[in-house]
Amino acid sequence: MKSVRLWFKKDGLAVYISHLDMNRCMTRAVRRADIPLWYTEGFNPHPYMTFLMPLPLGQAGMREPLDIRIEGEMTFAEIKNRLNSVMPEGIEIVDVAKPENKPNEIAAAEYEIDVWFENADVAESFASGAEKIIAGGVLNAEKRSKKGIKTVNLCELVRTFEISSEENKVYIKTVLAAGNTVNLNAELLLNSLLSEFSAEDRDRNIVRTKLLCEDLGIFE
Amino acid sequence: MYPKELERFLLKVQKPGRYTGGELNSIVKDKNSVDIRYAFCFPDTYEIGMSHLGMKILYSLVNARDDAWCERVFAPWTDMEQVMRENNILLYGLESGDAIRDFDILGFTMQYELSYTNVLNMLDLAGLPVRAKDRTSLTPIVIAGGACVCNAEPMAEFFDITLPGDGEEVTNELIDLLKEYKAKGATKQEFLAAAAQIKGVYVPSLYEVEYNEDNTIKSVMPTCGAPEKVEKRNVADLDSMFSPSEFVVPFLEVVHDRTTVEIFRGCIRGCRFCQAGFLNRPLRRKSPETVEAQCRAICESTGYDEISLCSLSTSDYKGLEKLITNMLPWTVEQKINIALPSLRADNFPKELMEQLNAVRRSGLTFAPEAGTQRLRDVINKNITEEEVLTTAAQAFAGGWTAVKLYFMIGLPTETEEDIEGIANLAQAVVDEFYKNPDKPKGKGVNVSISVASLVPKPFTPFQWEPQDKPDVLIDKQNYLISCVKTRKVSVSRHVPWTSFLEGVFARGDRRLAEVIETAWRKGCAFDGWAECLKPEVWEESFKENGIDPYFYTARRREYDEILPWDHMDYGVTKKFLMNENVKAHKGETTACCREKCAGCGANRLNGGVCDEISKTVV
Repeated sequence: MKSVRLWFKKDGLAVYISHLDMNRCMTRAVRRADIPLWYTEGFNPHPYMTFLMPLPLGQAGMREPLDIRIEGEMTFAEIKNRLNSVMPEGIEIVDVAKPENKPNEIAAAEYEIDVWFENADVAESFASGAEKIIAGGVLNAEKRSKKGIKTVNLCELVRTFEISSEENKVYIKTVLAAGNTVNLNAELLLNSLLSEFSAEDRDRNIVRTKLLCEDLGIFE
Repeated sequence: MYPKELERFLLKVQKPGRYTGGELNSIVKDKNSVDIRYAFCFPDTYEIGMSHLGMKILYSLVNARDDAWCERVFAPWTDMEQVMRENNILLYGLESGDAIRDFDILGFTMQYELSYTNVLNMLDLAGLPVRAKDRTSLTPIVIAGGACVCNAEPMAEFFDITLPGDGEEVTNELIDLLKEYKAKGATKQEFLAAAAQIKGVYVPSLYEVEYNEDNTIKSVMPTCGAPEKVEKRNVADLDSMFSPSEFVVPFLEVVHDRTTVEIFRGCIRGCRFCQAGFLNRPLRRKSPETVEAQCRAICESTGYDEISLCSLSTSDYKGLEKLITNMLPWTVEQKINIALPSLRADNFPKELMEQLNAVRRSGLTFAPEAGTQRLRDVINKNITEEEVLTTAAQAFAGGWTAVKLYFMIGLPTETEEDIEGIANLAQAVVDEFYKNPDKPKGKGVNVSISVASLVPKPFTPFQWEPQDKPDVLIDKQNYLISCVKTRKVSVSRHVPWTSFLEGVFARGDRRLAEVIETAWRKGCAFDGWAECLKPEVWEESFKENGIDPYFYTARRREYDEILPWDHMDYGVTKKFLMNENVKAHKGETTACCREKCAGCGANRLNGGVCDEISKTVV
């Protein structure tokens, strides 16, 4: 039995697949691809499969990790080819590798966010306003956790933040705290910023581009 | 693929995956390379529709043709409907995102009566008039199949065509005909008249119905050369019949998400309340080799880890042991679980049951249907209390601790004693558990009984019977609950008002069209969903149209009355059904087809062949 880390891209139609549904979807893909999965040995055997950082509904991911365990020998290239030949639209295996970092080493994630507004004026004033708020260091929002709802200063969870506007579109590139202990959903940050200005977007596109370790080195 | 303008609303509705398409094995073609675009419409939610085997078969069958493209359409849930109406987004096919208004055929499957208003709502969301006569162009032709079209009369004003019986052959014939008529620029009238000549095609608008003063039917007259009796379509050979090797694999969790393969059509049992058992006669069997090959192909193309061998009474399949013995090696190796729904308590070998549970253990369900032997004889459910208890004891010995029992109330000749009998039988099953010397320590037993209400259906021996009114059913339910003395038995029951509405439509006639349209215009849809059913609006709609719903449900019909579905021929003769009705009232049973042919007449539609009588009894 050995551990294998699959790196997949999820975009297009696939952003509407929830995390729970993703689990089922990947289990079936691995079965179709006839990859020699290792099954748990309990009363109800199921394949070992762990998504390290669930992606919220509606967000795309460029390089998302999924750990599986296999029995027997199969090269990484073979696993990748087999999986990509049975994947549904919008999900693609971009890499298969040996896990380098431990799952709990994920500390941050980088996002690229496009937001469209009614017109260029709204976009520009939102961009300059949002930049000031993040620089000012205070943006309180209610955050749901397992222990209930509490108010959190989101700025403490923002590691880097760049924002610019072009015509009616605002572009954000940001690194946010991510992982099991502290995590900031990019959508919560965006919605909180929007509500500060009572602004409403016409459309948005949130993409998680990479996962990072505490030192902001790439999580592998 | 959804229409572009929908994108910004998708994250604002529940379960956007219902509306996006793009699932594995969904089929996208070039619309310019096909002659016929077919929208397979399921008048309920995505989760329910995606569980339906008939849709999977017809979807693959139409898409196997180069000249046609079949897409899937489901009823949008209320939140999505609101988004679509507010933003003028028309109902679209999940594969292309194109409005189905521009398709050639909209094919609805009618599995239950309470989806009727959803059909109207979907036509309206598609931007089409709901009434057939108001859709004047040749296409889209609105057709319907499924169990409910054995009495299509309540929906006769809305459908252009219905297809009683098996759809595998007639669908292709209809597509061929439409392609031809479209090419020559024919009118809808010309097409419908020609379609009515195909066996198994019913064109309601070609029949004139007259009524007597007492509201019963006086006559049904065919026009334009349509046949006097419409014979259901019957596929003779299930081995050579089209069967899909791929299923669309949903992302969302749907009701049944697994490999499903039919093992036979029809039923040898003859339970007198069961419409499916009579509609699907004669018995036609698929060979174990075909079943196994189909299961393998679907598991490979989908990655499913569960197989359901489906039929009306799975343990009656000749060759079941052989089939399962052949399948076990590869299913166990691939960690695939085999489920056998509709298993009878009396004839399934214990050893096989144990083998089946090698992968994952499933639930245990019995359907005694009635609480006393007398009433079980009336409904011809030939299963004894002793058989139920013996099988339950075996199951408990095998480690089971939960059993489900299905019953019905509102059965003909039912008394308080019969209802009490339900509670007694459940108690006897509980007692059986405690008799087991090896019962697991510290674990109790849980017997859950589910109580449905009888809805007398067309083409059953009970088609003449009155249906209990909702208040009577409520009294009976309450009485049953008062008879249950232990918490080890839990009771779940159906909403009597739902059964009542189902009963009205099941045995209704054409005059109900007004009521259905009125109720839908007043906001009724998803009537099968307790949270959506609006009894007061329905009552209002009956009243406004001067229709007494109890005329359809509460009345005993005379044997010589012309029934709204008498011009349909499902093979089983009316004389046979009448005779069964007489026997029911005498408490006499009819042997199952395997013991002795009861002469139902259905083999007439199958060239005289019934797989049960033509072969020797094993």
